[in-house]
Amino acid sequence: MNHLQHNPDLTSSVIYGLGWVYLLMFLMNAYWVRRSYALDGNCRLSLGGILGKGEQIPVAAFWAVYAGMLLMVAITHLTGSNNPQQFSLQMPEILKEPINRASNPVAFFIGSTSLYVLMIVLRKWWTTPTAGWILLNLSILFLALSVTDYDFRQIVGKPDNVPIVAMLYIVGFFTWLYFKKSVDNDERKAAGRPLFEQENNEKVLTWPDLVYTELVCMVLVTAVLIAWGIVLQAPLEEPASAAKTPNPSKAPWYFLGLQEMLVYFDPWMAGVVLPSVILVGLMAVPYIDFNKAGNGYYTFNERKFAVSTFLFGFLPLWVAMIVLGTFLRGPNWNFFSPYEFWDVHKLELLNNINLSELFWIKGLGQPLPVVPPGASFAQQAPIILLREWLGLVGVAFYLVVLPNIMAATVFKKFYIKMGFLRYMVLANLMLMMMSLPIKMVLRWAVNLKYIVAIPEWFFNI
Amino acid sequence: MEEKKPSTADILAKIRAQKAAAAAAAPTETPLSAPETPAPIAAPESAPAAASTPAAAPKPAAAPGPKPTSTKDIMAAIRSGGAKPAATPSAAVTTPAANLAPAAGTTPVAGAAPAAVAGPKLSPQEMLQKMREAKAAAGPTAAPVAVAAKPTTPVAAPPMPAKPPSKAGKPAAVRRGMASFATVASFSAICFLFGYLLESGFLIALGALAWGALLSPFMAAWAAVAGIGGIWTLGIARFMFPNVLVEPPSKFKVGPLSDYPLNTVSNKWKDQFGIWVVHTDQYEGRNMIFALASVCTHLGCTPNWLDGEQKFKCPCHGSGFYMTGINFEGPAPRPLERMGLRIAEDGMLEVNKSVKFQEEMGQWTDTTSYVEVV
Repeated sequence: MNHLQHNPDLTSSVIYGLGWVYLLMFLMNAYWVRRSYALDGNCRLSLGGILGKGEQIPVAAFWAVYAGMLLMVAITHLTGSNNPQQFSLQMPEILKEPINRASNPVAFFIGSTSLYVLMIVLRKWWTTPTAGWILLNLSILFLALSVTDYDFRQIVGKPDNVPIVAMLYIVGFFTWLYFKKSVDNDERKAAGRPLFEQENNEKVLTWPDLVYTELVCMVLVTAVLIAWGIVLQAPLEEPASAAKTPNPSKAPWYFLGLQEMLVYFDPWMAGVVLPSVILVGLMAVPYIDFNKAGNGYYTFNERKFAVSTFLFGFLPLWVAMIVLGTFLRGPNWNFFSPYEFWDVHKLELLNNINLSELFWIKGLGQPLPVVPPGASFAQQAPIILLREWLGLVGVAFYLVVLPNIMAATVFKKFYIKMGFLRYMVLANLMLMMMSLPIKMVLRWAVNLKYIVAIPEWFFNI
Repeated sequence: MEEKKPSTADILAKIRAQKAAAAAAAPTETPLSAPETPAPIAAPESAPAAASTPAAAPKPAAAPGPKPTSTKDIMAAIRSGGAKPAATPSAAVTTPAANLAPAAGTTPVAGAAPAAVAGPKLSPQEMLQKMREAKAAAGPTAAPVAVAAKPTTPVAAPPMPAKPPSKAGKPAAVRRGMASFATVASFSAICFLFGYLLESGFLIALGALAWGALLSPFMAAWAAVAGIGGIWTLGIARFMFPNVLVEPPSKFKVGPLSDYPLNTVSNKWKDQFGIWVVHTDQYEGRNMIFALASVCTHLGCTPNWLDGEQKFKCPCHGSGFYMTGINFEGPAPRPLERMGLRIAEDGMLEVNKSVKFQEEMGQWTDTTSYVEVV
């Protein structure tokens, strides 16, 4: 793709800026070396028998080597930039190519869902301080290396999008913190020891402890906001015109999950019904949550269902959708890899068909039942219902029959504990949530547009 | 603040110690004995903490004695005491220990109701039951007794005896209030209405005055809120019908047929009028010109005509339409809408934006939705 590149991947200012990033990483890791030396102890290094039985060396030595390398990289960046184009510390093409090739909505969704599963399954491993530190380092290294790519820099470095990178780190940190505390408490419970919150319940006073903390936070947040407002300018665009929509046209970042949802649903569904269901569903949580465990302390094992369900809705279906909408959707709302040029003329074939067309034309080999023009409602209705019967039956099955089947099988215990009404609320909320991934998979698998498509009545599911 | 950060438990213990000291100092001269006195106020949660501090220990024993526990007790005291009835309330007033209980302290009158409040916390059911028992026992004599007790407590007006007459009088007052309210409301409503219709500030002011002058402050306040809300509503309703409407005309000429070669989409009128003029023979194989609204049928963004791809493509959610306007990709549920088009008397094409033709409704067969080219 080099022959198509009209913009330089690297400039001296980028290299200089990265130098400071690496310097910061060096300082962070220098601190980590000290911490590791104090806490991690020794390990035996034998290098596959070269050193005989092996030497006892502190674990901190590895971190020291890593920190030293970071310092050298930082110095390289901060000093040598005669010819930015020939600077060799770039994101290697070997890494870019597979990422570019694997980038599509399917891979993204499968990836984020598997990350979510791994996050829960491996919660004991990735919540140790060392694992958390390694993950943090890897993510910063990935970002720093990726910034050497022009297209990546254009998207991620856009002042609009910088806070989303910050948000990702904040979401990651708090998820890590939750799992760390829960794993600790779950282990305490298993060993019969008191919970962390019981052992360390040092109550403090609102004044001064809490109020001082709030004051400090207020000052810090104000300072950050001022610095942010000065350093990153709000991108101003041309005057608004009803006849011209920017391409791509993106919602505010916090609505990009919703915008991504709109790709798969009718605006009434994704714009009105599903957001209302999300809000009402969150409000209904105290009503449907019969599990009294976990009140006042962190735990995962005692609230497996509640936590996994919420995190599934929040991480793969909301945060990941925001990431997808922000960084990976380009002109014409096409999907672009992070290292791909935003080509307005990128051609993606997305010929979508409705379930009724699939059933009548592809399945039965006959044309759709046609509503005669100018027909009254009474004449229309039977024809339309006949045309869409499969989708209507499917939706009815999904929302009415499926909860009952679930009550008799998977959710039997829930059903007995919750009673009919409460269980139905829970089951329908869950099914509504799952309708998004189901719709996405159907779109990718069979190019399905709408399960029920009645444009005559503005009713599409 | 000589100590370093007193904990919540410490503070509670300190308060309790002070209370106990005061209670111990107070003389207990009430006819009601200890077994019936209220239970310790301390919540069970803080009890262990209190036990650890020595000051709190005497507390339960020295709990404020003078407070009568329930309505039943008071009624019993009144009935059995004969001349004594004043003793209970007066004791509550005179004993300094009564200051400790907030309810008894703030209402020195100590009628039956405040005393019941000051007693140990009873559940509503218990209170109701006691009330009922007391009523059944006292029967019709209860009121006279209470009235008889009145002169003995000259400090302030006791609320209980005063209540029944006021209660009986209230509905009538309310009815009178409603009647006058309705009168004034209708009067001032008429003032407002005519004031608005005749654009007379005087009448409106009169209506407002009627509200203010004839009603209680409470009613006047509500009337003011209602009046201002009404004026706003009328103003907003007026706003919906502007005197001058600055909109592009719904009928406009877009030039002769020859301006639009076969199988092209013209962007010429998109900025000004929001339409594309399309000349194509791809729809049902007929050679026709029609005008498409440049509004995506998914969520209303403005799609772009991509000449290289020969399609309309929406930048918001990726909906795609053929040159004919038929939707084929992305989430758009129906084809783009056509506008009215005809050949005017001077031979120019004239678009009529006030009508629209939807394919899914079978309206594209309407001959005013296109111009056939021959």
